[in-house]
Amino acid sequence: MEEKGTIGIPKALMFYRFFPFWQAFFEKLGWKVVVSGGVGKKGKIVYFEDSCLPMKLIVTHSVSLKDKVDHLFIPRLVSLHRSYIMCPKFRGAPDIVRLATEGKVSILDETIDLRESSYLRTFLRIGKTLGASEKETKQAFSKAQKFSLTFQKEWAGRINRVPSKQLFQLEIPTPPQKNKLQEISPPLGFESQRLVPALRPGKTGTTEDGGGDKGEGDNLLRVALIGHPYNLFDIDINKDILTLMKSLGMEIVTSDSLPEKEVDRHLSDLSKEIYWSSGREIVGALFHFLSGDADGVIFLTSFKCGIDALLQEFIKRTLKVRGGSCAPFLILSFDEHTGREGMTTRLEAFRDVMDEKKKSQMSKLKVQINDK
Amino acid sequence: MKVTFPHLGTMHIFCKAIAETARIPYVVPPETSRRTLNLGVLHSNECICLPFKIILGNFIEALQMGADTIVMVGSGPPCRLGLYDLVQKIILEDMGLHYRWLTIPPRLTWQAFWKNYEETKELKKELTWKNILLFPYGLWMGWKKMVACETLERLAMKVRAREVKKGETQKKLKKALSRVDEAKTSRTLGEAVQEGKTFLQDTEQDPSRTPFKVAIVGELYTVMDPHINRGVEQKLGEMGVEVTRTSWFSTHIRRSLRWNKNGQASERARFFEASRAYLGYDVGAECNVSIGEAILRAEEGYDGVVHLMPFACMPETTASGILAKVSKDRNIPILTLILDEQEIEGRIQTLLEAFVEMLEWKRKGRSEFQKP
Repeated sequence: MEEKGTIGIPKALMFYRFFPFWQAFFEKLGWKVVVSGGVGKKGKIVYFEDSCLPMKLIVTHSVSLKDKVDHLFIPRLVSLHRSYIMCPKFRGAPDIVRLATEGKVSILDETIDLRESSYLRTFLRIGKTLGASEKETKQAFSKAQKFSLTFQKEWAGRINRVPSKQLFQLEIPTPPQKNKLQEISPPLGFESQRLVPALRPGKTGTTEDGGGDKGEGDNLLRVALIGHPYNLFDIDINKDILTLMKSLGMEIVTSDSLPEKEVDRHLSDLSKEIYWSSGREIVGALFHFLSGDADGVIFLTSFKCGIDALLQEFIKRTLKVRGGSCAPFLILSFDEHTGREGMTTRLEAFRDVMDEKKKSQMSKLKVQINDK
Repeated sequence: MKVTFPHLGTMHIFCKAIAETARIPYVVPPETSRRTLNLGVLHSNECICLPFKIILGNFIEALQMGADTIVMVGSGPPCRLGLYDLVQKIILEDMGLHYRWLTIPPRLTWQAFWKNYEETKELKKELTWKNILLFPYGLWMGWKKMVACETLERLAMKVRAREVKKGETQKKLKKALSRVDEAKTSRTLGEAVQEGKTFLQDTEQDPSRTPFKVAIVGELYTVMDPHINRGVEQKLGEMGVEVTRTSWFSTHIRRSLRWNKNGQASERARFFEASRAYLGYDVGAECNVSIGEAILRAEEGYDGVVHLMPFACMPETTASGILAKVSKDRNIPILTLILDEQEIEGRIQTLLEAFVEMLEWKRKGRSEFQKP
């Protein structure tokens, strides 16, 4: 099929969750997909508004793409769940980008609101704007869905086995795991794709190829990395924390690997429902992993993120009020001034804390066995 | 049972009136002070918005004074205001303070009604029949007092811009408001309003002055509460600026009850419609209204717009980015003031002085201003 033109996707915000789907969809429709590069150390961030770093980055990425593409794909993400919504800043994102690029590029800003319309219907509208017939769009949609499903199945392993810079270069395959463990299928995105995970690996740290340079085998610490997807995987935001963690011998499990049912279970007894879907995921995952499903929990947040600021306070206080033991917990807050060195020190210290805790637990266990 | 409520502008006057008329025991939290803010700051984190901190401070002070039941206006998505109660409850609990919480639903729906029923079940045991029977009358008195306060405040805005002796209007307004506060029956209230009006109008005024017209837009807490905005309204007035705003209790109550008296709701709709030139979707809270109002005020020939927002406010951050563009396109000076817990009264004074000077400059034209 000849190419109809190029569609630019800024590597920011929910790119980090939906890119496989978006790319497959547009490519199946016959468009070439161009993704913006990173900002890197020397790149300049465009300060159009005084917002959080992820929002500044979507403007920066869009501006860098504006002369290279026919359309920019920045959907207006209102809701990605049948009853919960996204951050209010996302609603204005296409407008902000339009002002920042001075209207020089056409922006596909179809509203995605799954409370009102299905994902398929939304993409049918996008297909229509791009001049594709309904049949073509439907085909592209189902193919894209299949593609993203297989991608999601590999996701948990991919995080640990593919260098973080290549995570979203879809042509790079995920290397197979050496010993066969059932993988957790990360429930990315929409309802129908939320899969209940296969049984978790019985013991933590039995994976030998966790990507750690040291190859410590069973000494791998299982660390839960929690936050918005763009905080977890955007190298410009988190200064490549994934690689750093792997080099410190940590096996990473992310908040998006938790099935929705589990999240709902942890949030069922709150006095008021949390209405941001990302907020729910974060709070649910924090409760889940802090209660013992991981050796340590790291919460990544962007400075000025309203949702995180509020929920972080909620989590801290709730843990304090509930009492009891919980896994070591580290909160890292990022902005454009965060340095890699400071983060390394904190992560190393955090690893020591986890090591100590694990050791003391082991010795307790031994004492118990001896007593019997 | 002792009821308490947060401070917000003149809200304590009519909340007190409701409680007093219905003979429900109440505690008015001490006037918002540095201590209030410090308490709020101490028990939250830096990226939580300022209204949260001040309301939390009010509650802590009121609970320490012996209140035991908190009445708070609820709100819904997408802004953080909707989850204030969830987080504040756990913070108060963690501090070891005992309280009961009553949410006034933002919209009258069945769910809200049911939740309210659950919350009030306990309280009903402590209320006498007299309380319940008098409650509608209390609400009516409250509404009357609210309207009275707003009438006086609106008048003061006009008078202040023309006063000869600086600060006289503010003193008089305070006295007039306290008269309203003291009024016990509807007759004395009517008298208090009449007296207050003539009292304010008696201020020595300079009729030759043509004050600048400036609209205050932005997040409702920062616009309505002089403690949060450090008296922006008063400061501007005393510099000879006639200030207007459309954020009043009556507007917001009418909006949530869907009363459209005096065309106030339709004014909001008009602002909303105007914002469509820049924003394609309802971002939530006051964002669209702020933008729309700025656009329409520019068309109506206002001299400038002051945009108020708390630091890290999610919807207004989007608005501030767009307002910068509106200012350029419509040739109207817009000053965005971001408010947080820092001691910024001096800075605000300087910024406002410079802003007013700029308005003068614009009015006289560049050449004339440079002559002397």
